Amino acid sequence: MAISKKPFAALAVAALATTLVACGGSDGDNGGGSKSEGTAGGNAIFYNGVRNTEHWDPQRMYIGRDLNNSGRLFYRSLVAYPASNDPVKGTTPIPDLATDTGTSEEAGKVWKFTVRDDVKWEDGKAITCEDFAYGASRNFATDVIIGGPANYLFTYLDIPTGKDGLPEYKGPFKKTGQDLFDKAVSCDGNTITYKMKKPWPDFPQSIASLRYLDPYRADLDKGDASNFQIISNGPYKLDGKWTEGTGGKFVRNTNWDAKTDTIRKALPDTWQFKEGDTEETIYEQFLAKTGDANFGVTERRMPPTFYSRIAEAGKLYTKVESPFVDYVLPNFNSPVFKDIKCREALKFATDKTAWINAGGGERAFTPAYSAVNPSVPGYEKNAAFGDIPDNGDIEQAKAALAECSAPKPVKIKFTYSGGTPTSDKQASALKAAWDKAGFKTELDPLADTYYSVIQKPDADFDVTWGGWGADWPSIGTVIPPLFDSRINITPSSNGNDYGNYKGGPEVDAMIDAAYAETDLTKAASLWAGVDAKLGEDVAYIPLEITIFNFLHGSKITGYSNNVSTNGYADLATIGVTK
Amino acid sequence: MTIPASEMEGHAVPPLGESEEGVAGKVAGRSPTQLAMARFRADKLSMISFYVSCFVVFAAVASPILVKIGVFDPDGLNQDKLNTDLGGIPHGAFGGVSWSHPLGLTPGNGEDLLSRLSFSMTYSLGIALTGTLITVLIGVVLGIISGFSGGFVDATVGRFIDLTLSFPQTMMLLALAAPTVLLIRKDVSELPLLGFLENPDLANGLFVVIILSAFGWPPVARVVRGQVLSIREREFIEAAKLIGASRKRLYFKEVLPNVWAPILVYTTLLIPAYISAEAAFSFLGVGIKPPTPTLGNILRDSVSWTTADPTYFFLPGIVLALTVVAFNLVGDGARDALDPKTHR
Repeated sequence: MAISKKPFAALAVAALATTLVACGGSDGDNGGGSKSEGTAGGNAIFYNGVRNTEHWDPQRMYIGRDLNNSGRLFYRSLVAYPASNDPVKGTTPIPDLATDTGTSEEAGKVWKFTVRDDVKWEDGKAITCEDFAYGASRNFATDVIIGGPANYLFTYLDIPTGKDGLPEYKGPFKKTGQDLFDKAVSCDGNTITYKMKKPWPDFPQSIASLRYLDPYRADLDKGDASNFQIISNGPYKLDGKWTEGTGGKFVRNTNWDAKTDTIRKALPDTWQFKEGDTEETIYEQFLAKTGDANFGVTERRMPPTFYSRIAEAGKLYTKVESPFVDYVLPNFNSPVFKDIKCREALKFATDKTAWINAGGGERAFTPAYSAVNPSVPGYEKNAAFGDIPDNGDIEQAKAALAECSAPKPVKIKFTYSGGTPTSDKQASALKAAWDKAGFKTELDPLADTYYSVIQKPDADFDVTWGGWGADWPSIGTVIPPLFDSRINITPSSNGNDYGNYKGGPEVDAMIDAAYAETDLTKAASLWAGVDAKLGEDVAYIPLEITIFNFLHGSKITGYSNNVSTNGYADLATIGVTK
Repeated sequence: MTIPASEMEGHAVPPLGESEEGVAGKVAGRSPTQLAMARFRADKLSMISFYVSCFVVFAAVASPILVKIGVFDPDGLNQDKLNTDLGGIPHGAFGGVSWSHPLGLTPGNGEDLLSRLSFSMTYSLGIALTGTLITVLIGVVLGIISGFSGGFVDATVGRFIDLTLSFPQTMMLLALAAPTVLLIRKDVSELPLLGFLENPDLANGLFVVIILSAFGWPPVARVVRGQVLSIREREFIEAAKLIGASRKRLYFKEVLPNVWAPILVYTTLLIPAYISAEAAFSFLGVGIKPPTPTLGNILRDSVSWTTADPTYFFLPGIVLALTVVAFNLVGDGARDALDPKTHR
C-alpha cells in the first residue's frame, strides 16, 4: 500500500516525510491544489530551503522529499507509484523500468523483474540487468554507502549472516562474499531475480517507495565521492554540478524517451533546485505573487507567522495531514538516560501541547501517541503514552526524577534540528516543561547538517529530535528501521536509531516474530506489541503528527499534494505558465 | 555635581587628573577635567543620552536580580494568552499588552517581552563592556609601546595591525565558533576559578568577547600611537629619561596620562559599536544561543513577525536603536567636551 519515508527535518521543526494512506484525505480545508492540467515549457523551481539535500546517491537517500523529487525527475526504478491522490491507486506500484510489476514465486520468496530493452542512461548506454544488480550490491557497503535503507536487504535478501548479525557480503568495493550476493541476485538476460530468506509480499512497494534498488553504473561509481553525482535515466539530467547550499539546474535528458514512461509528464523545460532560502523569503514571494518563487514549489512548510494571511493566498494554499510522526529520543549512551527512571521522568515531563502551540498550534500539528502514524494499518495508541495528559504530568515527572540516579539538578542537552525561529521556539517550550519538572536543559540547535551529527554513536547529547513516516503502510517499515539495533548500530553510525536504543534478545525476537508472521492482521498486533515494549523502555517519546500547510507559486499548474509523493507536491505533473 | 562625570569615567577610565578641589576665592581655577565636564553638561543632547544610557545600565544590572526575585520571568510560557488559530499571535491589542505584560508577549510561546528585553541588556551590555575594556587595554599597551619605541618594534606592531585588519573577521567568527566554544566549555573550564565557563551562555559570550577584542584593538592602537609620537618628543619626557626613569614609568606615568582623552572617546564609541555587533552575531546564530534573551536573539525571532505582530517586530528594534544612539551620543559628547578643537 503505500508509502513513505523518512524524516527530515523540516524546517520548522519537524518535519518529515512521507505519507501514508490516510493522508491524502485530510481535513476539511484540504486543498488539492490547482487541479488543472499542467502546461508544457518554461522553467520551474523547487525550493529545498534551508535544509540541504544530504545525498543524491540513490542507495543513500532516505529523506522523503529527496526520494520523491529524484524519482519524479531523474531516477527511475523497476516499479514506481503513479501520480495519484487516491489512497489505493497512489500506493500501488506500476511498471517503470520493468515490463511489469514483478512476478513472485515460492510464496513471495523469489521475485523476478524484466528490464525494458528500450531504456537508456543519460549518456545513451542501455540500462541493463547488471546495473540493477550492482545498485542492489551497493547497499551492503555499509562503510561507504551510509544513510540509506540498507536494513531491508539485510533482513530479507538470502545472504548468510555472520556472528555479528551482519551479512557476510561486504559490498562491491571490498567484494568480500561476492559469490553469496551473486547467488541471491542474479541476471538472466534482461531478467533480474532476487532471492529472499523469507516471503516478502511488500517487495515491489519497497522498490517504489525508496530508491535503494535503483540501477547504478559500476563504471561511474566513485563510492563516497559519488554522493552528489547524478547519473540520470529520467526526463531531466543535471546541468553542470550540484553545489551544496546552492543547488543545481536540471535540463532535459535527450536520452529519455517519453514513450517508455507513463508516469512523468516532464512539462517544464528546466527544473532549478535552490538551497538556502528561508521559508519567510519563499512564502513572502508566494503571497506577493511576484519574484522567482512565482514559478516555484517547495517542501518547506508554511511558517506560523503566515497563518493570519492564508486568506490572501486563495487557491495557492493546500493542507494535508502528513504521514510523519515527530518524537524525541533519549540517548541510551548518555550517562543520564541510561537509567529508565530518568527516561520516565522525561516522558512525564514532556509537554506536547506547549511544543505544538509554539510550532503553530492545531493547524500545524495534532498530538501523537505512538511513533506509528494512525493511518498505518494496525496502529494502536501506545499504552505507555496514551494515558499521560498532552501537557505532561508534572507530579509523576517529579516523582520519577527523584528516583533518577543522575546528580541533581539533572543536566541534559537537547540537540535538535534548529536554525529557524519556529524550531527554536518549540525547543524552548519543551525546555520550559522539562525544567519545571527539575531537569536543567541546555538547547543545542544544529542548523546545517543534522542527521549526520546525531547518527554518530558518540555524539554528545542527551535528548534529540526525530521524525519518521512509514516507508509504505506497514508498521514493519517504522519500528525496525528506527529501533532494531542489529541493523542500525555499527561502530561508525547508529543508522536511524538516533537514541542508540538496544533492545537486546527480547526485542530482537519480537521483531523477528512479527516479520515472520504472514497474516497481516496478526503481524500488525505483533508489531503493536513491539511498540508497547518500546514504550515501556521509553525508547522514544511521541510528540505530534505534522500537518502540511503549503503554498505554491501562482504560475504553477497541475499542482497536487499526492499520496504517491507522501503529501508533498508531485513533481511528475507540475508545469509552469509563462 | 560630579556624579555624572565620575559615573561616566568609572566605566572606562580613571579621572583625568586631580581637580583642585576647594580652591577658595572668587577666581576659582578650574582643572581640565572640570572644564570638560562643564562643557559636557552644557550639551543637552549629550545629557539626555547620558540619562538614557544610565537607564540601560541600570536595567542591565537590575534585571538578574528582578529575575531572581520573580518580578521578571523571561522564560515563562503564557501560551494560554495566545491565539493558536493564527499561529500563536497574542490575544489583545499591540501584541498582548496588559498590566502584567506592559510590552506584550512573544508570539508562539507567550514569554513576557519586557522581561526579555530588560534581561537581554545584561548579556548585551556585559559583552559590550567586557569587550571594550579588553580592546582598549590591548590597544593602549601596544600603541604606547609602538609609538614610544619606534624603529623595529614600531614596524613590527604596525605590520601586526595591518595583518589583523586584513583578517576576515566575520568568517573567522562563524568558522571558529563551534570548536572554540567547545574548547572553552570542555578544557578552559577545567582550570581553577574558571568553572563557570561550563555554562553555555557564558562560554558563548566569552567567545564573542574574544573575537570582538581580538579584531577591535588595531584602531585604538593606531590612535594612541599617533598621540604618543608627538608626546615622546616633549621636554618632560626628555627630562624623565635624563633622570633615569624606567621604561615602565615612562610609558605609564609619563605618557599614559597625556593620552587619556582620545582613549576615553574611543571607549565610549566602542561600547555602542559592540552592542550592535553582539546583536548582529546573535542574529547570525553565533554567540549566546536562544532561548537566552540577547538583543540579537530577540531580533532574530521578531523579524519574521513583521506583518503578523508588528508590535513585537518593532519594539526590540527600537530598543536596540535607542541604546546604540544613546551610547554613541554620549561618546560624541565626550569627544566634544574633552577636545573642543576637533570639529565634527
